[in-house]
Amino acid sequence: MSMTQQAQPAVTTPPAPGPKETDGRTARRPLALRLLARPEVGVFLGAVVVLIFFLFAAPPVRDGSSIANILYQSSTIGIMALPVALLMIGGEFDLSAGVAVITSALTASMLSYQLTLNVWVGVIVALAVSLGIGLFNGWMLIKTGLPSFLVTLGTFLILQGVNLAVTKLVTGNVATDSISDMDGFEQAKAIFASTFDVAGVQVKITVVWWLVFAALATWVLLRTKYGNWIFAVGGNKESARAVGVPVTFTKISLFMLVGFGAWFVGMHNLFSFNTVQSGEGVGQELIYIAAAVIGGCLLTGGAGSAIGPVFGAFMFGMVQQGIVYAGWNPDWFKAFLGVMLLGAVLINLWVQRTATRR
Amino acid sequence: MTDKTTGTHGTTVQDTPAHGDRPLVELRGAGKSYGNIRALHGVDLEVHPGRVTCVLGDNGAGKSTLIKIISGLHQHTEGEFLVDGEPVRFSTPREALDRGIATVYQDLAVVPLMPVWRNFFLGSEMTKGPWPLRRLDIERMKKTADEELRNMGIVLDDLEQPIGTLSGGQRQCVAIARAVYFGARVLILDEPTAALGVKQSGVVLKYIAAARDRGLGVIFITHNPHHAYMVGDHFSVLRLGTMELSADRSEVSLEELTNHMAGGAELAALKHELAQVRGVDVEELPEETDLKASAAATPEGKS
Amino acid sequence: MDRSSHTRSRRIAPFVAVAAAAALTLAGCSSSSGGKKAEEGGADASAGKADTPRMTVALVTHQSPGDTFWDIVRKGAQAAAAKDNVKLVYSADPNAGNQANLVQNAIDQKVDGIAVTLAKPDALKGVIAKAEKAGIPVVGLNSGVSDWKDLGLLEFFGQDENVAGEAFGKKLNEVGAKNAVCVIQEQGNIGLTQRCDGVKKTFEGKLQILNVNGTDMPSVKSTITAKLKQDSSIDYVATLGAPFALTAVQSVEEAGSKAKVATFDLNKQLTSAIQNGDITFAVDQQPYLQGYLAVDGLWLYKNNGNYSGGGEQPVLTGPAFVDKSNVDTVAEFAAKGTR
Repeated sequence: MSMTQQAQPAVTTPPAPGPKETDGRTARRPLALRLLARPEVGVFLGAVVVLIFFLFAAPPVRDGSSIANILYQSSTIGIMALPVALLMIGGEFDLSAGVAVITSALTASMLSYQLTLNVWVGVIVALAVSLGIGLFNGWMLIKTGLPSFLVTLGTFLILQGVNLAVTKLVTGNVATDSISDMDGFEQAKAIFASTFDVAGVQVKITVVWWLVFAALATWVLLRTKYGNWIFAVGGNKESARAVGVPVTFTKISLFMLVGFGAWFVGMHNLFSFNTVQSGEGVGQELIYIAAAVIGGCLLTGGAGSAIGPVFGAFMFGMVQQGIVYAGWNPDWFKAFLGVMLLGAVLINLWVQRTATRR
Repeated sequence: MTDKTTGTHGTTVQDTPAHGDRPLVELRGAGKSYGNIRALHGVDLEVHPGRVTCVLGDNGAGKSTLIKIISGLHQHTEGEFLVDGEPVRFSTPREALDRGIATVYQDLAVVPLMPVWRNFFLGSEMTKGPWPLRRLDIERMKKTADEELRNMGIVLDDLEQPIGTLSGGQRQCVAIARAVYFGARVLILDEPTAALGVKQSGVVLKYIAAARDRGLGVIFITHNPHHAYMVGDHFSVLRLGTMELSADRSEVSLEELTNHMAGGAELAALKHELAQVRGVDVEELPEETDLKASAAATPEGKS
Repeated sequence: MDRSSHTRSRRIAPFVAVAAAAALTLAGCSSSSGGKKAEEGGADASAGKADTPRMTVALVTHQSPGDTFWDIVRKGAQAAAAKDNVKLVYSADPNAGNQANLVQNAIDQKVDGIAVTLAKPDALKGVIAKAEKAGIPVVGLNSGVSDWKDLGLLEFFGQDENVAGEAFGKKLNEVGAKNAVCVIQEQGNIGLTQRCDGVKKTFEGKLQILNVNGTDMPSVKSTITAKLKQDSSIDYVATLGAPFALTAVQSVEEAGSKAKVATFDLNKQLTSAIQNGDITFAVDQQPYLQGYLAVDGLWLYKNNGNYSGGGEQPVLTGPAFVDKSNVDTVAEFAAKGTR
């Protein structure tokens, strides 16, 4: 009965390996190929291809002010695409992002006008409202455990309805009143919607903000603890929780970041155009998600970058305006847009595949 | 049993006294009920530093529930749970981690798309610089991860590769190395060899031994008595939520262990019935009396 | 746990402090110009109420949510309803099939009269016949000036977007435009498409269509700017909604173009833009009047059997052009949001 019994366990510690041994099985791929395999580089190349294409096909694009115009279009999409991308890396969607921009603008406008306050009060209250919407989205997600797609679809519908109904209730119209003659308007406009001169070309300040936010987002994502948490929470929520990553805090804060972005773009809209149409914003959320996905963010979460969506947004703006600059038949506008976007994504994919193949 | 060694952070680990001193983690008559389902009851377990306690049992025996209690995912509803002699009640895994109880789950608690070094330091990242410029100390993390993995015998060419590209055994080892590095005093391994082939299982068992030799108390959960017997110092067999066998290595043989696991008692009882059926060879099956004798010789945890 | 209540009160305290600070700030930060205080307190004209028995009228249009033009139609309808002791039930859907369902809904509610817009006459044919069978009088407004008789509608108020477009085109000829771009903010919207089609019919110069994303104003601005850059010979930008006209003014400036801006529909800000010359003219189809007449017409029919146009001719409400010469008379009403 005790024949197989042993006094000591059979297994002991393995000897430590020599100092600089390597596994030796993987050869170092050339730097160029390794770079190409990164999703950011793929979308960058896609963007370059699109730019060159339109430089050829649409002569007006070669003008400096046209590039500035394209950058402006890209920046208003790009500023929102950044937090949407971060949220996507964190594993969630926000379908209410488009209308949330308008909610923010409406809040600031109507509050300032109806109570005859300095517009900055409206701006600050709008920030609180936008962050609150983000908090609500995140909290609902955590509490119900439902897919964020559903939760934010609900918020999207609510906000769409509230935008229309509350504006009608408060102002009697479907658009807000003019606030351009109120205190604080000029200051706020200078921050959110001004233009400055660069070598004779008028550049909108949103372009600068866009690039600043992008740099900040990249730094946070790659160089901070919080960024590591974002990747973890999107890659495998349960694993992250098991090793002590604060999952709830990360998810809710990501939604609030989207809220911040919505506030910023909403303020830009308000101080650029003075009045806000309550029916706007619907459909924009898909464009933000598209920019993020084109930029290399996985729909399932856990992978992506902040730089990729910058090029993704640029690509979108380039294609949208490029079609007009090229003078193509406007009836086919949407179809062209779709074809070019697909083309850009395919180029991106092909580049990545080629680079990671043997 | 173990020598005085330097811990990973430069702290000195005490001379571990001989078996019999205060256990790191102890369960006394512990149990867990979900509503009116009693998943676990009457479990006694002791984890000592530098020793491997194997918890065996077939599927549905309650092994998962047991680990979840010790690792802080669930709370026990009966009995006592003691860490360093004090009763505790963990509400989050973070609390268990802070007490030095690290768990390597079956699904490994790694994020497949993230690089090895990021996974290694997940939840405990190294930072440098003052707030608000506090940033990750990537160089130090990569170097440390590389060193720790080498110390455990794993050599990786590229720490940037997503951890999902490593083989199952390698991933297990990274997870174990992670737990060891972060000063775990108790390491719980939830069926690490379940999905691995023979060679990979061998590799994992080697690392369990390495962890044990560094002075950790290891709880090794498995349903494979052969693996258990290769590294275990103490064996506890769970069945239907309760402890059926609790014996030191010196008190039980591999054969007995296997029979317990295989439900040898039932098979023996069946033996008589099977003997009636033509064509079934019952010669090799143990006699009921043989099993009962060995079971009586070992102290049982059943209340 | 015991700790939670203590930490909770500690966590609430900062929020209370912030809220208090916010309230104080709000009280102190009023604006010295603009805002509601500056608005002239002009109540809407309140007439007496008819003493005829209460009746229900359903107004079913093809409005897209948030559209300014239709909002004014609705206001006119509401004004008539208030005067005539009418309960107004308003519903709208840009999709013709859904609009038909809404009309059916009104029939089921057994309303006393239905007013519809015939953007897509074929889609509404069936349900209008049902209404007539049920003995509910149906009038048309805004769209369908060539179809209302065939569908058996009682009367028609307003006119087609097509007709408004044609008038617009003629006006463009008058002001000497040679190359105009028609900006459609919602590709596929029937009313908007009809307007541009109308312009194309009568305009003697070159007309181009530009589709823009109406749900994103920065995009509208960029796209118009791009178009002006692409074709620097454009001398007129025709927009189909007041807010888009104001954005077009910004685009023209940005593109350094010499183009002028003209538009359909008015709003508060537009009148001042016409006054200072940013916008050359605007077409006012008098949507308020369309809505008002539709509801009032049904009331008249119910209480006295009258129907305007005698079943032969539509009642035209426009288009009226508003330019620098007559903008002042309209400005006051536009400020109320009813022109």
